[in-house]
Amino acid sequence: MQTVTHLALVVVLLLAATAGPAAAQGKPIKIGEINSYSGLATVYTFPYKEGILMATKEINDAGGVLGRPLEFIFRDDKLKPDEAVKAARELTGQEKVDFLAGCISSGVGLALSAYAKEAKTLYFATHCQTSRLTWDDGHKYVAHTTNNVNQYIRALARKASTLPYKKWAHISPDYEYGHNVWEEFIAYLKQLKPDVQVVQQHWPKLGEGDHSSYVTALLQSGAEAFISALWGAQEIAFVKQARPFGLFEKIKFVSASVGNPDELDPLGKEAPIGAMTPGFAWYDDGMQKRHPKLAEWVKKYEARTKKEPTLGASWGYASTYIIAEAIKRAKSADTDKVIGALSEGFEMEFPWGKVVMRGCDQQAIPPQWVGTVKMNAQGKPVLADVEEHHGRELVRSCDEVAKLRAAAADKKK
Amino acid sequence: MQVLSGLSVGMFLFLVSVGMSLIFGVTRIVNLAHGSFYMVGAYLMVTLVELLPDRPWSFWVALLVAPLGVALLGGVIEVGLLRLIYRRDPLMQLILTFGLILVIGTLVLIVWGPDNKSVSRPDVLAGSVPVFGQPFPSYYVLVLALAPAVAVALWLIFYRTRWGMLIRAATVDREMLGALGVDVSALYTQVFVFGSWLAGLGGALAAPTVAVAIGMDGDVLTTAFVVVVIGGLGSFAGSFVSALLVGLLQSFGILVFPAISIVLLFALMAVVLIVRPWGLFGRAEE
Repeated sequence: MQTVTHLALVVVLLLAATAGPAAAQGKPIKIGEINSYSGLATVYTFPYKEGILMATKEINDAGGVLGRPLEFIFRDDKLKPDEAVKAARELTGQEKVDFLAGCISSGVGLALSAYAKEAKTLYFATHCQTSRLTWDDGHKYVAHTTNNVNQYIRALARKASTLPYKKWAHISPDYEYGHNVWEEFIAYLKQLKPDVQVVQQHWPKLGEGDHSSYVTALLQSGAEAFISALWGAQEIAFVKQARPFGLFEKIKFVSASVGNPDELDPLGKEAPIGAMTPGFAWYDDGMQKRHPKLAEWVKKYEARTKKEPTLGASWGYASTYIIAEAIKRAKSADTDKVIGALSEGFEMEFPWGKVVMRGCDQQAIPPQWVGTVKMNAQGKPVLADVEEHHGRELVRSCDEVAKLRAAAADKKK
Repeated sequence: MQVLSGLSVGMFLFLVSVGMSLIFGVTRIVNLAHGSFYMVGAYLMVTLVELLPDRPWSFWVALLVAPLGVALLGGVIEVGLLRLIYRRDPLMQLILTFGLILVIGTLVLIVWGPDNKSVSRPDVLAGSVPVFGQPFPSYYVLVLALAPAVAVALWLIFYRTRWGMLIRAATVDREMLGALGVDVSALYTQVFVFGSWLAGLGGALAAPTVAVAIGMDGDVLTTAFVVVVIGGLGSFAGSFVSALLVGLLQSFGILVFPAISIVLLFALMAVVLIVRPWGLFGRAEE
């Protein structure tokens, strides 16, 4: 099975290289893509959109899906659930799209999922990460094409459990994602290492600008290690403020996101050396050796966008191929048939490894990477010593998911 | 240590909020775009540090020039837009300055792009100095010194110069000042430019301690607004005291009650609004 899809992908890529005559002809399959294309999330969504456009071009140049070209229609949700649902109504009502896709904010993802259920339209959640999407609040009209918080935080917690530290603290933004990260992390860490204690908890608001008082409080907490679920501009600010206090020398820093280039690059020489963090280190020698096609994909992405790829770019790219694969397997763009194909589950090979689309919850399970922040020879901070585990070894099982769904249904009654 | 970090938080807040308070005191406009000026100051700082050669002095030149750029922007906005609506309904003024937030935010996205930017501290201030045996960031020492210096300079301007006297007069009775032959319209422009300069200075000075990114305007606006309300709209001493109070309250709140530290700030504002609706140092409206 795996080799067949593998071969199919190679054929698709080969065809893309000699494109032209094979280009898709029929009526396009339309996908309404709703995401935050203005404001502060654009640092993630612009590369993500490039990933979608790159994959779409490859697919269409190779003859499309079932002979029909894929067409994405993009809408801006301004990071707001109500705007997203408004766009979804317009896309399904006027544009007559076949499927919905998108989300970077977990709030938007949950709102779109609720809309999809009511409108009986299949929605592919692509960029937001809350586990509730396909678990507690899961249903057949939603599929999640990228990993969820559970998978990469468990990968991080497993690595953190090898550290000799017992006293832990955390600093997490006070909203859905921050709570999700902290709860998953500490639950798995305690499962692996029962003598772990929590000595201090910090919940700054999302977007807080000055963290120096949190830093001085952490310094006095007696913690040996702490995890941060801050991300983006807020985490950059936190790191820049914490470094001169000597926080990272005194307490081991574990971060859910500092290894991503959107944080490491602006931090430059102020990056937290030695931090333990997940990340998509496509430039890492070990990664490129394990995944021989990765270098070529990076080159293609860079030629297209004149920028280095990010995790978001790989997500846009993978999501597009996963949607195309589901339609191909269904042999139709009909909603129920595509749901049928998704619920059977399938596996696909990508330049960065295997992605499992699990049937029971329509949840993607990709490989997970955890590494350590280091300076490379050019004085640029990178993620090094990257360890890879497949999400299958970490993720909650189908039985556990069924229990979560049952518990959530009970709560609603 | 917690006191020092609280004080440095307060100093940043003071620089931003005093300009907002000043502009309100004289022109009676609640300038919601004040956070946007702060953001533009930080972005100009990024660009200047990138453009200037990598020398020890370039950081300081940028710190001097970036706020001037913001002052210029403030001047253009005052003359081109605000001047037209001083006599209108305050609601119109709020809508205009709110609109400016969106316009400036989008322009910044177009000019500087969506990526997070960053400014390094100058090498002299990159490290830390020992305070009570613990390292304290030397950049915050600069902030702890600079903000009171600005406060003293403001005091001297307000109470020892003719221009400062006119400003104080304008906050008390604008019509009378105009009747006495003072060009109030020019005074408005000057005050708005000066207030924008202060916001720009706050942004430029904060740039090395934060990520310069889309969205930093909104975060700062909320806190600055709370500071101004607690201190009393239009009161310069009020801004100083309330900025320090808010900084320390946040700092100790985080240490003592981490779970509710965010609420403390707004609780303080609520208490002040109930007991003294015009703020700690404000004057009650007749």
